[in-house]
Amino acid sequence: MAKSKWLWLTTIVVLVLSSFAHAVRAQDDDDDPDRQPVVKAADQGPDAARGQKIFQQNCGVCHANDATGGRGPDLVRSPVVAHDVKGDLIGDVIRKGRPDKGMPPMSLTASEIADVSAFLHARVKEGLQSARVPKVYDLQRLLIGNADAGKAYFEGAGGCTSCHSVTGDLAGVAKKYTPIDLQARILYPEKLFKNTKTDATVALPSGEQVHGHVIHQDEFAVGLIDSTGWYRSFDRARIKVEFNNRLAAHRDQLFKLSQDQVHDLFAYIQTLK
Amino acid sequence: MNFRSFASLAAAFCATPREESSSARGWSSIPAWQDYHVAGTHVTCAPTNTNHARKVRRLTHLPLVILLIAAFCAAPRAAAQAPQSLGLDPAVLLNPPTDTWPTYNGDYTGRRYSTLDQINQKNIASLTLAWAFSTRGLNLKSTPLEVSGILYFSSPDHVWAVDARLGREIWHYETKTEGGKIGHRGVAMWKDYLYFETGDAHLVSLNAKDGKERWTIELADAKLGYFATMAPLVIRDHVLAGVSGDSTDIRGLLRSIDPETGAIQWTWYVDPDPGAPGSETWPKDPEAMLHGGGMTWMTGTYDPALNLVYWGTGNPNPVMVGDLRPGDNLYTCSIVALNPDTGKLVWYFQPSPHDVHDWDAVQTPILIDGEFRGKPRKLLAQASRNGFFVVLDRITGEHLLTSPFIETTWSKGIDERGRPIADPQANPTPAGSLAAPGSDGATNWMSPSFSLQTNLFYVNAHRLFSIYYRTVDGKVEGWGGRDQNLWGNSTLRALDYKTGKVVWNHEIGEGEAFTGMMTTAGHLLFGGDTTGNLLALDPATGKTLWHLNLGGNITSSPMTYQLDGRQYVVVAVHDHFYAFSLPPTAIKSGK
Repeated sequence: MAKSKWLWLTTIVVLVLSSFAHAVRAQDDDDDPDRQPVVKAADQGPDAARGQKIFQQNCGVCHANDATGGRGPDLVRSPVVAHDVKGDLIGDVIRKGRPDKGMPPMSLTASEIADVSAFLHARVKEGLQSARVPKVYDLQRLLIGNADAGKAYFEGAGGCTSCHSVTGDLAGVAKKYTPIDLQARILYPEKLFKNTKTDATVALPSGEQVHGHVIHQDEFAVGLIDSTGWYRSFDRARIKVEFNNRLAAHRDQLFKLSQDQVHDLFAYIQTLK
Repeated sequence: MNFRSFASLAAAFCATPREESSSARGWSSIPAWQDYHVAGTHVTCAPTNTNHARKVRRLTHLPLVILLIAAFCAAPRAAAQAPQSLGLDPAVLLNPPTDTWPTYNGDYTGRRYSTLDQINQKNIASLTLAWAFSTRGLNLKSTPLEVSGILYFSSPDHVWAVDARLGREIWHYETKTEGGKIGHRGVAMWKDYLYFETGDAHLVSLNAKDGKERWTIELADAKLGYFATMAPLVIRDHVLAGVSGDSTDIRGLLRSIDPETGAIQWTWYVDPDPGAPGSETWPKDPEAMLHGGGMTWMTGTYDPALNLVYWGTGNPNPVMVGDLRPGDNLYTCSIVALNPDTGKLVWYFQPSPHDVHDWDAVQTPILIDGEFRGKPRKLLAQASRNGFFVVLDRITGEHLLTSPFIETTWSKGIDERGRPIADPQANPTPAGSLAAPGSDGATNWMSPSFSLQTNLFYVNAHRLFSIYYRTVDGKVEGWGGRDQNLWGNSTLRALDYKTGKVVWNHEIGEGEAFTGMMTTAGHLLFGGDTTGNLLALDPATGKTLWHLNLGGNITSSPMTYQLDGRQYVVVAVHDHFYAFSLPPTAIKSGK
């Protein structure tokens, strides 16, 4: 094949493979329902958006504009709302009021009642969704630290420069992750509960040494990919092994970092764009 | 006894299969096929062999006949009546024999210590798989009951009965609910009936013979966010059933149910009534308290001599934000002692006052009878989710000891009442707060154990760092935030209950292990690691004696029983139960 054809072929293969890799990484998190942002009630649908306005005008004075209660009860926690289906029970209360509790009857139309109900159900959903760390999170909420103090820590007491360089491996790191994920990775840069950054040197009884990247480790055995790319495993009772866990420094820091240091480091690292 | 009875008795004896007798059923040992001569009547049993050479005994053998008549008269009437039930007499719960595991923790003490020693340190190397059972995809976090040779276990909205000797399905019950499916711990048994909690917070009673529903009652309103995952606890004629939930702000509770009818006998609310004791630890306006959480996630323990049932309660709501519930928030995150007949609170201790980290204090409150500071005492010990080991006098609730059982960063010390003091720096914040443990806890629902041989308390402990976010401003409904796990690893630890000291530590790898633990009189501790190994350790030293890669991490708390002279140890890995025993040839008969 002509040289130019090889070049084209290689380029295409590389492009295809890298797009595939990107797709795989995106699937891990972007689709994860637990990382989706909380959808505010008014954004959950046009009926809930209309309902919010109607609620604010008619109900907010007693129940608060967000329905969390004031003079009147918290409706997000209301059993009536919990049992309501498309306004059947809520409509009843709106139309009749609760005279014994000081709630006057309201003459809302059926369509308005449906919208108010949609708003209340949407508020309940917001509460349920609040049990998340969303992937997208307002940077301003995170930026409470001092970037200069973070830089000083990074270059000094933190010891980070022994492995990292802000112009080398960390150049542009803040562009690669959402701010909240960046904060997590500064603290521990690995997929949850996996450790893909441990190497090992195995000394066999014969004197041979095998060096490789660890893919399995327990008290009985080590499995590694050696320098030729092949997998080998060893019974730990028969060999000596030394591990080099390149994430050990991150792990050890978790036990020592103060909250200020966490926020200062983030303030600094998120400038690396 | 008349002639007809004799004849039918003799016929019944002949018709009865001649396998090993079951002393549990009251049958006396029956000899092989024989001719019986009964008071002038010649009764011949159909022989299973062709040996017709046996002579028929004649009336001349009168003394023998009289002896036989006397024996028949003395024999239990069982042959002429229906066979005894294979159900569970609740009295058995007081002192279960080794062929029975009648309740979630094996017995009322919660120790998960078995007196079985057929499997022991000398022969553990030859432990082998006896059978496997698959649910075909339904995750198992349940501890099976074993009663009369049948295992009963569960998964959310599913119950199975499986032959405990063979691992083969007898029946399978399924219900469909919309509720919480995070896991399911098991069922309870009373006489011929099982009790099962559902995803929509109902208690269902099943006929144990065939899995058919007898009745179902509502424990709590699922539409408000309640669901149920625990194995109920049977005490005499009470079925104690608790609830789960905390994604909404609801009131925790524990109910006692009539096992025959399903009627509610009493209800104890974790969040007190306005003005009642404990309400002073909440704001004056009772709204926060009456939505204050405190779910009763796990099965408690019971002291029959004191007639006290001990239960742990869950975290308060809103989970991550405590602004609108200042105060200790009793009785959330508490160990409580209740009278099981009335549901009245007798005493309490709170390992996590005013919790904002989801650290339920529902871990098994193990009962220990032992010396404490030189005096024999009745004790209760909990390795709590917040990373602290707590020892109490279980008669009075007097606090005796609080000690960290694993590294944590959230606490500044222990107060004069023995409660850990929270460092506000570790509270969830909008910008995130780094703390250990994460919300999953320094331990969780997996069973601890206490060995009567070593007097050590065993816990599956996690070092777990998370960053806690408060993501909601204003009045919070539900969680109001969450933590993001960063790093964790797990270790099996042995604690001296007298001092809280870690006697030995056995690391089990990166990540969170959810294996429960069990100890036996064979000087064995069963557990697992984070890479799919089932482990048998020496409970005195933590040394590994045996292991097997089961292809996935253990997801249940282990249990054991002995039937027909064969001891089984049963653990779950995701959708499979595995039963281990010694090879049949290695087992002596008649043991």
